[in-house]
Amino acid sequence: MFKNEEMEINLGPQHPSTHGVLRVKLRLDGETITHCRPMIGYLHRGVEKICENQSFFQGQVWTDRMDYCSAVANNLGWAEANEKLFGITVPRRAQYIRTMLNEFNRLASHLIWLATHALDIGAMTVFLYAFREREDILDMNEAFCGSRLTTTAFRIGGLREDLPPGFEKMVQKFLAKFETCLEEYENLLSENRIWKKRTVGVAKLSAEDAIGLGVTGPVLRAAGVPYDIRKAFPYAAYAEMDFEVPTRTEADTYARYLVRMAEMRQSARIIQQCMDGMPEGPVMAKLPKILKAEVNEVYHATEAPKGEIGYYLVGEKGSGNPYRFHVRAPGFINLQALPKMAEGALIADIVAAIGTLDIVLGEIDR
Amino acid sequence: MNKLLRTLIPFDIAKGLSITGKHFAKVFFSANRRKVPFHITSEYPEVPAKVQPRYRGRLTLLKDEQGEIKCVCCLACEKICPTQVITIEKGKKEGRKMPFPVRYDFEMERCIFCEFCVESCGFDSIILNHQFELAAYNREDFSIGMEGLAQNMYEPTPVGKFSVAED
Repeated sequence: MFKNEEMEINLGPQHPSTHGVLRVKLRLDGETITHCRPMIGYLHRGVEKICENQSFFQGQVWTDRMDYCSAVANNLGWAEANEKLFGITVPRRAQYIRTMLNEFNRLASHLIWLATHALDIGAMTVFLYAFREREDILDMNEAFCGSRLTTTAFRIGGLREDLPPGFEKMVQKFLAKFETCLEEYENLLSENRIWKKRTVGVAKLSAEDAIGLGVTGPVLRAAGVPYDIRKAFPYAAYAEMDFEVPTRTEADTYARYLVRMAEMRQSARIIQQCMDGMPEGPVMAKLPKILKAEVNEVYHATEAPKGEIGYYLVGEKGSGNPYRFHVRAPGFINLQALPKMAEGALIADIVAAIGTLDIVLGEIDR
Repeated sequence: MNKLLRTLIPFDIAKGLSITGKHFAKVFFSANRRKVPFHITSEYPEVPAKVQPRYRGRLTLLKDEQGEIKCVCCLACEKICPTQVITIEKGKKEGRKMPFPVRYDFEMERCIFCEFCVESCGFDSIILNHQFELAAYNREDFSIGMEGLAQNMYEPTPVGKFSVAED
């Protein structure tokens, strides 16, 4: 008597909970998702090709604009990949400052993730509180490099300038209150029954699936795989830092929330260690005026807040531009897991699945 | 039993409300009573926003003590610019040994404020000033040259010219 038919709908590209211009093609059976395909490319600018036509020095400004929530982490990967290509050793003080700013950026990125993820699920208060703390980090970005979001923080071979006067005071002021702020978010969310109903057991991704799909970052660590490039292949000054890699085994949205909250605590610890053990000395290595590459190729991976960001650079003999430039963007690879998470779930859960992957479309489409 | 009690009585919601209530009370009862209020936000167009000393704003040409343009047309800024927004035309001026820029065009609509031009300048003849209210209604207002244009490179944009605060 009743006709049974599947319905196809689009989520996005202008939907506020898709965190940018992501379109998800859904096929629904009632309220259950039977088929889910993310459609990307609305924000494509051709960053990789543009960088091939620009010098090694200029390329950094494009890395800011890939994942605009974690620009400093992108800058760090770019600078280190170039240093690997040219065989430059960075002074120790510059390494420490880089590590500290990178961890601040991880805090900023996780705070914006927490804010928007909670807002999607329905917790408005956390959004406002998390943005309040993020503002302090952006102010520190501005004090160090003059810009809040598109930082262009590092240079090949070190830093442009040393820390500004009064920076240490800003850091200590932030660290003194940050622990209380984290407790505030946890009091608002961790035990909240609405939050738990929307996250526990939602958008599961097992460790086998995560590894098979190449997923990295907190999503992988929430499945119980303790893989963190800061520990596995230390770069910058991470080898000298004492920190833990938080993992969970539940592999659901709630576990990813707990992993990221624990990561923020570890980041604050690393920042404190950087401030305590900050060595004196220069911040820039001696470089030739124009960087000319040899025939050489490098791949350098660093741990961005979203996962492994890798830069693949090929040098051409006597040329000031990279011959080939490729980015392994964490958001792009992590988005592959969305069909696995969403198929078979309810349509309301796809909002949680997109939020928990922590995607930024500027990086996925490049 | 404990679980049933927790389901019946909304402890978690009370916990959340106590946090928001605490913040509300802190701001509400301290209004007009403290010199430094607990407010997080600021009333921006009325109260001018503060920027850090290293803030990267609009490109500005500098003059030396005699009122001469410091720029000597080495074209370093033009070459390093990632978006090619600077165009310089070399020229000569009487009584000046160094080359003199006849034209120094800056197209702000494509500028990404990376400060590479200032970094590359060996004569300290350009800076990025502390302006951030750079919006305009016409496209021509973004083409900034030396003279005879709506805006020029020596003077900062008049504050509030294009902002709503003026009305």
